[in-house]
Order: sequence, then C-alpha cells, then structure tokens
Amino acid sequence: MLNEKEFKCRQMKASKFSLSLFVSLLSVSLFADDFSNPPSPRITSVTTVSNAQRQIIFTPYPSADQFKILRSGNLSSNSWLEDLTGVFSGVTWTSPQNSSNAFFQLQVTPLSSNAILTATILSKLTYGPTPDLLARLATNSLDTFITEQLNPETIAENVSLTHTNIDYIAAKFGTPTNVLSATATTGPGTAGIADFRAWYALRAVGADRQLHEILTQFIDNHFVTQYGKDVNFVAGLQFPAGVLQRFGTDLEYRELSRWRQVLLTPTGTFSNLLTISAESPAMLIYLDTASSRGNGANVPNENYSRELLELFTMGVDNGYDQSDITNMAPCWTGWTLEMVATNQAFNVFASKTTNYLDPNAVNKTAYTNLVGVWALNFKVNNHAAYAKTIFGGKIVPARFGAPYTTKTYGGNSTPGLYQLNIPSRTGTNGMQDGYDVVAHLANLPFTQEFLSVKLCRLLVHEDFSTGYTFTDPNLSEEGKLVKACMAAWEANGGQLRPVLATIFNSALFRGNGGNAQKVKTPFEFSVSAIRAIRTSTNGSGMMGSFTASTDGYGLVQSAGGPQVQGTASPMARMGGMVLFNRSDPDGYPEAGSGWISAGTLAERIRYIQSLLLATGVTGKNDDNIFLTKNLTDPVTLLRLRLPVLADQKDAGKVADLFLGLLYPGEGKASLDEYRTIAMNYLNTDDTGANSSPFNLLTPSNVANNIYDTRVRGMVAMLMTLQRFNEQ
Amino acid sequence: MPNINVISRRGFLQHSLKAGAGIGLASLMNLPPFVKRALAEGNIGTNGKKLLFIFLRGANDALNSVIPVGDNAYGAGIRPGIFIPQDGGVNYGTASACEFPTGLASTFQYANAIKLGNGFAALHPSLKFLAPVYNAGDLALVHRVGYPKQSRSHFDSQAYWESGEPNSVLREGIFYRTLLESGLTSSNPLTGVSIQSGLPLLFRGTQAAMTNLSDPTRYDLMGVPSDPLSGDLKAKNILLAAQNSRFADKRSRPLLSLQYKNMLDTLDIFAGINFQETGNTFVDNANSDGAGSSPYYLFPTSDSKNGGATAAKFVVDTGAYGFFEQLKGAAMILNNTDAIIAGTEMGGFDTHNNQGGITGDHANLQTRIAWAIYALRKYFSNYANKATWNNTIVVTLTEFGRTTVQNTSGGTDHAEAGLMFVAGGGVKGYGKNGRVSGAFGCHTGDPIPWQTGTTGSMYGVSGRYLQRVIDYRSVLGEIIREHLGATSNQINRIIPGYAVSGESLLSRGTSSIDGTEIMGELDLV
Repeated sequence: MLNEKEFKCRQMKASKFSLSLFVSLLSVSLFADDFSNPPSPRITSVTTVSNAQRQIIFTPYPSADQFKILRSGNLSSNSWLEDLTGVFSGVTWTSPQNSSNAFFQLQVTPLSSNAILTATILSKLTYGPTPDLLARLATNSLDTFITEQLNPETIAENVSLTHTNIDYIAAKFGTPTNVLSATATTGPGTAGIADFRAWYALRAVGADRQLHEILTQFIDNHFVTQYGKDVNFVAGLQFPAGVLQRFGTDLEYRELSRWRQVLLTPTGTFSNLLTISAESPAMLIYLDTASSRGNGANVPNENYSRELLELFTMGVDNGYDQSDITNMAPCWTGWTLEMVATNQAFNVFASKTTNYLDPNAVNKTAYTNLVGVWALNFKVNNHAAYAKTIFGGKIVPARFGAPYTTKTYGGNSTPGLYQLNIPSRTGTNGMQDGYDVVAHLANLPFTQEFLSVKLCRLLVHEDFSTGYTFTDPNLSEEGKLVKACMAAWEANGGQLRPVLATIFNSALFRGNGGNAQKVKTPFEFSVSAIRAIRTSTNGSGMMGSFTASTDGYGLVQSAGGPQVQGTASPMARMGGMVLFNRSDPDGYPEAGSGWISAGTLAERIRYIQSLLLATGVTGKNDDNIFLTKNLTDPVTLLRLRLPVLADQKDAGKVADLFLGLLYPGEGKASLDEYRTIAMNYLNTDDTGANSSPFNLLTPSNVANNIYDTRVRGMVAMLMTLQRFNEQ
Repeated sequence: MPNINVISRRGFLQHSLKAGAGIGLASLMNLPPFVKRALAEGNIGTNGKKLLFIFLRGANDALNSVIPVGDNAYGAGIRPGIFIPQDGGVNYGTASACEFPTGLASTFQYANAIKLGNGFAALHPSLKFLAPVYNAGDLALVHRVGYPKQSRSHFDSQAYWESGEPNSVLREGIFYRTLLESGLTSSNPLTGVSIQSGLPLLFRGTQAAMTNLSDPTRYDLMGVPSDPLSGDLKAKNILLAAQNSRFADKRSRPLLSLQYKNMLDTLDIFAGINFQETGNTFVDNANSDGAGSSPYYLFPTSDSKNGGATAAKFVVDTGAYGFFEQLKGAAMILNNTDAIIAGTEMGGFDTHNNQGGITGDHANLQTRIAWAIYALRKYFSNYANKATWNNTIVVTLTEFGRTTVQNTSGGTDHAEAGLMFVAGGGVKGYGKNGRVSGAFGCHTGDPIPWQTGTTGSMYGVSGRYLQRVIDYRSVLGEIIREHLGATSNQINRIIPGYAVSGESLLSRGTSSIDGTEIMGELDLV
C-alpha cells in the first residue's frame, strides 16, 4: 500500500526563482496517464511579498492529506527541517515577514490508499457514501465489502424497513412469475409509473444491496425501453386513458424484475439478460418488432436488428454492417405480443384470451373486452420462413488475438468465422431464429468487448472505447482492463460477476485513476445527496429515524411535462433524465458531457438548496410540491457526530465533519480552500456580507432557527460545489 | 466493413493516450489557441449576422416532406400506407409560386401534396406555412443532402453532423469551432446558446464554454434561506469564490470548471428578458391562415395561443408546446443578447412505425417545422432588436433520410440522403436573383439531375436509398462563410473537409472519398 508515502519536490534557493527541479520518489511510472499516476506537486513560483515575507505557490495534488514546506540553508545537506512559521492556504504558503533566505522543499502526504479506495467503492458500488458506511469501512475490510456487494444474495436486504412506501408500492405490482390479470377497466395491478419510479429511487437511497441496484439501473438503461411508447401501444388499441399508465408500468416493471432475478443469481450471464430483453413486451413495442412482418413480399422493420447490434451487443460498426442488419431483420418477424389468458402468460404460442369482460358484448373480442395479460407471442403467419445468413464470411479481426481468432463459432469449422446460418423454418419452429441470434450474439468477442467497455465506463472512468488492438504489447491500461474483463467473460461462460470482480480488483479501479474521475448522472446526484447526510438517529435503520430521507416521489414525480415550467421532477430538470422513458435507444449517457451545462448545473444547485431547506420554509417546494417530501436534518447528524456542545459551536470542526462526509476521497490539504469557504459561510449572516460568529449561536435543529439555517446553508453550499458532481 | 470508422477510432485513441487526456480537436487540427479578438480574422460575431438552428432528431423522412411527385416511382407502390397523394386538379409540372391553401374550414383540410411550383416537387400538406416564406424568396429547400460513407446509426450520424467531420470519432462541435474563431468567447460569456435538456455536441469543446439552458424560466439560484438577498446572494458569491479553489486535474474537471464558470457568468445576463408565459405576446401582423378573426400567436405554447385556438384551427399539434417554448427562448435570446448562434432540437422523427401520411405522427412533426420557420420570419421581422430577419438564418439539421420503400410497420427505416430547410431574409430563394425555384437538389433539370424511376435517385445507394448530391458541410459551410463571415482559412479549420480539395465541398466535383458527384456550395445566401 502507498499509505503515507511521501512525495517530495525541491525548489532552488528562493531568491533565484527558478522552477521545476523536482524529484519524485515514485518516478517509475506504473501508468501512462497523469490521472492514475499524478505528477508530484511542483513549486511554480516563489515571490517576496514585502519585508522578506515569502510566498510559495505550488501545483495541486489529488487527495493530498497534508502539505509541508521544508527548508535548509544548504542544498547539499540532509538537514531539511519543516518550516512551521508559515501558513498554507490551498496551494499557497506564506511565511512571516523577515524570513531568512533558504532552499525550500515541498512535501505532500497523500491520503491513504485505503481511504481513496473507500471513496471509490462507495461512489461506484453504492449510490454514494453514507456516514454509516464511511464509519464501517474505516475499520472493516474493503474487500469483504466488495465481495458482499458482488454476491447480494448473501446480504440481508432491509430496505423495506426504511420507508413504508417500499412495501406499499410493491404490493401494487405482480411478480415476474405471477403476472397480474388485467382488463381495460382495471389494468394490471394498481401502480402508475410514478409509483414505480419512487419505489426504484427509494431502493437506491436505502438498499443494503447497493451494487444490485446500480447494476439494475445499468442493465435497464442498457436495454432501454420507453414507458411512453408502451402507453401509446395500448392507447392505440382503444384502452381507456384511466388505465394506460398501469399497462405501461406493468411492462416496464416485468422486464426489470426479471433482470433483478438474474443479477441475484451467482451464475447469471449476459446471455440471460439479453434473452429477457429480447422477450420483453416493452422491447417488442419500443423497437417495433411487434409490428414487423416478413411473410410474402413484406419488408421487415430493421429497427430492433440495428439497435440489437449497435447498442445492445456488439457496439457501433463493431463487426457488422448494414447487410447484417437487413439479413437479421426477418429473423425477428413474428415476435410480437398478445393479450392472453393469465395461465398462458408463458406460452408464446397461446391464442388471444377468450376470457371476456362482457360475454355478451357486441364486439366481444375487442381488446377492451378482454381479461388477460400482455405477453410475448409468436405469430407464425408474420414470420419470414426462408433461410437467412448473417455475418456471411466475416472473420474475427486479428486485433482480438487468441483465443478469439483461433476458436470456432456456431457451426462453422473455420476458426474465427462467425457466420450465422439460420435454416428455413416453418410453423412455430420459426421462433427459434430469434433465440439463435441471441445465443450467437451473446458471447461474440465484439459483445464481450462492448459490454466490458460499458461496465468500465460505469465503474472506472468514461474514457474507454471499443477498437483496442488487444495484441499490442503497448496496449493502454484501459485496453488491458477490457482485455482482462473479456478473459474473465470467456473463462466463465459470460457470467457477470467474474467480469465485475476483474474490474474491482484492477489497479485502475483501486488507484487514483478510478477516483472521482466521473460525473454523476442526475439520478446518482440526487440519490447521493440524500445518502451523504443520512444516518439513522437511533441506529435502528427504521423509517422516520433518518437525518435525510425521501418518500421517493420527491426525486421522480413530475406534475407536468418534463420541460414545461415549474412542475417537472428534479431528475427531469437536471437534463431530462426521466426513468423508464428514454426516447433514444442509446440509453441515458454515462459521459459527463451529456449532463453538464449551465442550465442543468443551476438545476442541480436548486435541487440541493431545496433539499437542505427546512420543511415548510419558503422555496422548499421549488415549484413542485413533491419536493417537500425530501427531508434533511443536518444538525441532528452533527450532534450525533459532535456530541460535545463546544464542538457543535466550532466552525472548523463543523466544516471538517461535513467535508469528511461529502468528500472522503479528497484529503484535508486538497480541501483546504473549501474548508475556508465553509468556515466563512458559518461565520457570516444570511447575506454573507456581515460577520456573525458561529460560536455565538446556540445549536438548534428547529426550522428558521439561525443555527439550523446556518448549518443547512453551509451543507447546501458544500454540495453545490463542483466536486460534489464527481464520483 | 468495420472500415474507416474503427481504424480512425483506433488512431485517435492511440493519439489521445500519448497526449494524455483533455485532448481537444485543437491539437489534431492545429487550431490556434484561444485567439484574442484583436488577432481574430474574419467577421464572425462582428457583422451582426446570427444563426438559429433546429436539429430534427431521429432522421426526418425527406421523401414525405419535399415530395418528388415528378418521380413516377414515388407513390402507393412503394409507400402504400404513407404516400402523399397528388391533387388530380393540379399540374405539378408547371412553374409557379408555391400554392398556399388558406381560408379552409380547418387549417390542414387540404389533403394532397402542395404544389411547390418548381415543376417537380411538392410539399407535404402539413408544411403549408412554408409557402409564404418560400414565395418571399426567403426559403431554400435543400434536398438529397448527406455525406460520404453515410452512417445509418443515429448516434454516429448525429455526431458527424454536429462535429462537421463525417466518420470521425472527434467529439467537438462545428458551431463551437465557429464561435471560437470569432475570438469573442473570452470576452463574451454568451456566444452560443441552446435551449434543450443538455448542451448539444454542436456546442461542445474544451477551450470555451457555450451555454445551454434547460428551462430559461428557472435559470436562477435559490439559496438557503431562499430569498434574493439573503441566502441566494450569499450562495452565488460563495460559488464565485469557490471557482478559485485549485484542485488537481481529473478527467471530468475541465468540463465542470468551464460550465460552472459559464453558469456563474451568465446567470444575470437574461434578467431583462421575460421568458414566462406572460412574456409570450408575439403575434403575427397578418391573418396567418387567410380569413380569421385575429392574427395568430407566433409561438404556440398553449391551446389558447395555438392558431385560431380551436382544434380545427390549430397551426401545430398540441404536443408541440414544449418545443415552441424552447424555440421562443432561443429566438428571444438571439434577439436580445449578443449571442451569435442559438438553437434547439425537436425529437420524434425516428418513424419506424405507423408514421402516417397526410395525418399522423410525421404530419404533426412537420406542422411544427413549417410553423416554426413561418413564425421566426415574422418574429425577427416585426420584433427585431439585435437580430433582424435579414441578418438571421434559420437552418435545420437531421442525421439522414429514410428508406424509399416503407416497411411493414407503416414506417420507414434508416437510409441515406435527407433534407435541410434554410430560411432567412438573406437567403436567395424563389424570385431572387432571377430564380424560379427555391428548391435545390430536387429537379430532373438540376446540374446533377434527379433520376426518376425504380433505378433512379431514390434507389441510388444499395438499390434502397436516396443518393446524395449535396454535402451537408457545403450548406453549413456556406452559411458560416458567407453569412457569419468566416474567412477561407477559418472555414478550413471549422470544417476540415474544406481544406481537402478532393472533397469538393466548395464547388462541384466528385468526392474523393466515395466517388459520388456532388454540387459543392449552392449560392444559398
């Protein structure tokens, strides 16, 4: 471990102003880039302010815990002594007046590698640090925590204790195996899309199995479908407006709950997840497979085939071309959905249900008169029965190297040839085409590469891309990690957990290069803000005892359209992230450039300010009444962590407490200027213009009390700074 | 065929790894670093010229917008469910002004292709409000637009349009580079503005920040307590102070720093502009749709401001209000600030399924395009402040066209060449410069003729797709050069293809990339 390893850099005699003579104790570069292996801090200027008062300015260093200035009268001697006479302010050190001439040297003590890894784990395997998890990981094994999160079925899940809404909403749904019967007047279950989103957000905030929630979000976003299109589908069949929401919600929930089951299965594979997506009625609607026909002279719809290759498996132009899309499209014809009797929900060849709402209705077979469930259904007459060849003559490129170039694929005897031959099939056998495609795509090297890249972008940083030359001896660290992920995939038949473990064990993930290099999505931002100051006041973890909480709806509920003035949900305001309703099939972006702009930053700030406002005060609802259900009580958190009254009145200790909770991976010295700003905040009145010493205020957590408002404002301020957008 | 795409991506990766992160196009293209205005060449931003863009996301079906009725292959045979019928009483083959069917009982009662008057093409009836703009000579309809080695991926192709570099993995915007060349980005925090959920690639880059407002009515901070003087002011001042905090470089930090600074620099710029519904008072100066009780509102943001305010007399579908809210914001900012380029986007054009013909989803989307262009002409004419109609160009972008033959879902799939709308007082359209047509690339008499029939232009690529004769970069390039005032050196940096003579972007020639004959610039402005 690099714990407490010191980096030193030297500076020529102050009066000479020369730069850049520095020595790094870690001069052997482990990594190609400065993010993983940050350069030692460097003194960039030494100036004399007046009366031999010297000012030394140096470059920042990530996760710096402490800076020291050492001085010596003699460059060649080893008698470097720490100069304690000066004062640090960020990356500036200022000596007192009449400081004698000397050689100066800068020394930095980085945060321990354990502390950096803790911050990374809590940012990537969970929806952000909580005070309790920080405390736990300070004394417990990080690798044990990783192992637990990788095997969620080994952890007790107590999230339903944290808010009544979890069970309340869950009861509105069916289950993956016990689908709910529906009619045009009742709909399946009673949940609307806002219920589903709230349930989902509550789990992200409070689940013990955090990685399970993160991977659920990743997979749902990867195999994106759109709630609005589900609704349009049933609306087009004349279902009445009152129940449209329930049908759409049900379709989104059913695919999600199936994925969650796979993610809870130790041997779950990507192929399992892909199959669920292909079979999902929501996907059949979203990419128009439901209406595609290949019989006779019909031209099949290409939409699903294209995105299946480009976005769900291989990655854009990664091993396929337009002819493969065109040749694949007929394979999916006939895959559609139908309203069938509930006991036929898993019979893909079932006929339309004959359970009628009104057996005597004039048009009793109208969809609005049926009782049943919307399920995957294969329509023989729509299917293109002819033989198809996909990836004809295509060979795995040399850049993948062995075993990918030397093994055989499917029924091909030529090594590296991944041509897929689909024979002519008639009747219900035609459905096998789609399953053949899924089985073939699921473990192609291109798919392994693309999914590994996407997981690395989720869990490490965003600068991974397909197209590495894996045989290159000078392959980048990113390329090597993708290669290692693919090796784990290949060795374990596409199981997800070995791939994830490869990432978590990698030097890229565990070092500086994996720490705070990414921008949070609106969902990650909203949830992490609550978690950052959320502890159970009595240790019970029960609802009502948290210093920060939401009812779920407060994050996701919109009373109007997503962009219309006023009533949009926080996540819609922060860049149009509306769960389960992405219109573009690429899913919500992982890269920060998709989320960060002046307008969306202003919305992130407003969300934090609303969150930290006390209940009932002006501005709390910020034009959306649901925001009043996001509750915070930072003073109670403060009292738990600083039980001594004098400490509660100490601006420095209060600032340090929250800086430590919000920025556990930054290090005290890196946060020095934030600390100064926080203390200034605590020691000025609400205008910021007048002094109002914090230690004269009487601690209180009552709304509108000066102390309470001051602490709330300071915490909000810290969360609206640039660094809180990072993970 | 994992051809040039992957190769260039790999090259780019190797390059970027050598140079470390934070690489921008600058180091690849030899862009001058952040020139001061005094050193800048050209007239971008100083000649008073402005640009408003609308990105039609999802790929507009060009063949059902500006319809090649003179091509006998177009019709029920290839598009049984979605083709636009001809009016039996109209001769589309004669030269005239564009028909403008007004005074009808309902706005879109005319249910046939509208005669454009160029002797070959017609407008979708939902585009009827383009007619007055076209007839004034202020509209260019640019058909058969694409680029070499067309990607049929939405995301790649949108990126190529937005970066100005086809088949490149560079992710830096063409308008970003245009504004960087103005030399004004260091002194003016507001040079480019988008009103949409996020900053489009058009505006992304590493050396200067463009501004995106997700909702102009909410572009303000609150503070704790939430009060303009106490709390809000304190919060803003402290954010400004925190901007000076120095941290070590990390991958996302340059982006965050640029955009935080831009937010803090622009929060107060819009103070005098009323983006609220109460500020939406802009109305036509004539009865827009023939006989009517009163002139229509220009920006339909609610039923009561939508045409004649009854369903029959709506000028756009009721789902359009969010778009017009954003368009209004972009127009007001262009008109009332020093912003040089502003714009927004409209989604929904990925019509794989049930796109409709005379009516339906695609028809509704087209009402928005036409009314937007109609309304912007009126707005910049009758409410001109810093942006006048003569000094403003409106341009639409869309990533590709759609398949010539419809699919079995009653929709169309991803294809090749598409359509651009270019409007403005300075556009040389119908009746200007002796022109008898404002349509470009849509006639059998074109310099590169539209070939008719089932082996013609509509089947020119792979036997399935409309073949391009115009490169989108020539259209955008001419606007940036001739209108915004870029020099030839600047255009070579803004659109790297201009510096490659074989690309034939400036004048007619054969693309050295794929051997397709293209028209070069069109003398649009």
